[in-house]
Amino acid sequence: MRGNQSNQDTFDDLREELRGALSPLGRPELRRDLWPLMLRRLEKPPVGVPWFDWTLLALTGAALVFFPVLIPALLYHL
Amino acid sequence: MNRHTYLRAYLAGIAVPTVFLVIVAAVFTLVRYVYNFPIPIERVLVFPMAFVPNVWGLWNLLYAVFFAPRHVSLGIFGGLLPLLLAPLGYTVAHLLQFPIPPHVLQLAPIGLPIGMILYYLAWKYLVGSLNAELGIG
Repeated sequence: MRGNQSNQDTFDDLREELRGALSPLGRPELRRDLWPLMLRRLEKPPVGVPWFDWTLLALTGAALVFFPVLIPALLYHL
Repeated sequence: MNRHTYLRAYLAGIAVPTVFLVIVAAVFTLVRYVYNFPIPIERVLVFPMAFVPNVWGLWNLLYAVFFAPRHVSLGIFGGLLPLLLAPLGYTVAHLLQFPIPPHVLQLAPIGLPIGMILYYLAWKYLVGSLNAELGIG
C-alpha cells in the first residue's frame, strides 16, 4: 500500500516535470479556415494534356525503344 | 506571396532534377558496380549530380525574372536548355577524358531533339506545376 503511494507520487512528480519542460502551445488553432481552400482545390479541373504533347511523348518513347543507346546519354544530361 | 521570388524560382527549378538524380545515381551505380561496366562513369558523375540541377534552378530563375513577365512559354524555354547542356556535358566528359562511345556521338542528331522534347514536357508539366504552387510566373 505504501509502495503504491510512493509510485503514485513519483508519477505525479514526473508528470509535473514533463509539463514544466514542454512549453505550452502559443496558438493551437489555425489562423484561418483551410477547408474552403481545400474545396476550391478539389473543384479545380484536372490538368489537361493536349494531344500534341501525348504525340511528342509517344514519339520520344518510340525513339528510345529504337535507340536505347541514347538512354544513358539522356540520363547524363538530366 | 511576393517575398523571395528568386529563391522560390531557383528552388522550384532545382527540385525536379534533384528527384530524378536518385534514379540516375542508382542506375549509374548499378551499371558500374553490379554489372561491372568497364567505363569509369564516376569520373563524369559530377555533371548530373552537381551541375545540371543548379543549371535548372538558374534557368528557372532566369525565366521568372525575364521571361515570365513577357508570357513566354515555360515548356519552350525549358526545351531550349539541352542546347546549352549538351555541349557542356560533352566538354566536361572530354576534359575528364571520359571515353564516349562513338555510336552515341553518331546518334547526337537524334538524341538532341529527343532531349529537347523531354525537357519541354518536364518543364511544362513538372516545373510548371511547382512554379504555380509557389506563385511564380
